[in-house]
Amino acid sequence: MVLLGAPCWLRSRLTDRFWRVQEVLKYARHFRGRKNRCYKLAIRSVRRAFVKSTKARREKKRFLRALWITRIEAASLEHGLKYPAFISNLLKSQVELNRKMIADLAIYEPKTFKSLAALAQRRRQEGFLAALGDGKEPEGIFSRIVRHY
Amino acid sequence: RYVRQLQRLQLLFSPTAADARGARQFVEEAALDFARQHPDVVLYISPRCGPAPLLLAEYLNGTVREELIASKTSEEIVQLATKLAGQSGLDIIRIRKPFHTDNPSVQGQWHPLTNKPSALTVQGPRLQPQ
Repeated sequence: MVLLGAPCWLRSRLTDRFWRVQEVLKYARHFRGRKNRCYKLAIRSVRRAFVKSTKARREKKRFLRALWITRIEAASLEHGLKYPAFISNLLKSQVELNRKMIADLAIYEPKTFKSLAALAQRRRQEGFLAALGDGKEPEGIFSRIVRHY
Repeated sequence: RYVRQLQRLQLLFSPTAADARGARQFVEEAALDFARQHPDVVLYISPRCGPAPLLLAEYLNGTVREELIASKTSEEIVQLATKLAGQSGLDIIRIRKPFHTDNPSVQGQWHPLTNKPSALTVQGPRLQPQ
């Protein structure tokens, strides 16, 4: 149906403007100032909020990884090890735990974390002996690599 | 064994209204088949002369979901009913974490005094271990 000319347009009125406006305002209710009430200011703020939340999903991964690293560093310093030494020695002893799990262990299972720190420390000492001791002594126990075929 | 979370489905429609035509066709044709295919869901058909036709779904955890079926065909109502029958009654919002435990800590959660030596074990010039 083609509506030509203004007298024909005036027949159809917009009746659900309220709900169209509420669809946008419901995402702005927790904002500060007039942008939680006024539609004109709210559409801008809501659009920016959505764009920021989309972009922040990539940042969240970096942020959480940094948080886990900070926590593991704090926990390993309690046991006398620095973070690079802890992580590198754990990897050399074939303990492939990611930072999220190690951080959760450090919070909820402190004794397990203490044993992990002790393992890393022992592997570190064996690494020093292998590098400085020059050959004659037998290889350390925790330096052995298990291959799963 | 699988327990269906949908308790009952109430079909409220008016016998004369124009937008309840799909609901009436559903009752005539597909309601019996639906009830036979889902034997653990109770289907209540109640004609009432009131507002728009509704499909009320009540779940085992108490949530009640209302779906408008005005101006829908019989097939669409069947699809809607099967979708509701497959859902559980949990709210449909964003799940913050895909995991949950009631007992997160087995060895005791860390607190600032976990790795500090206590007065019982300190060996210093003044304090003696007991």
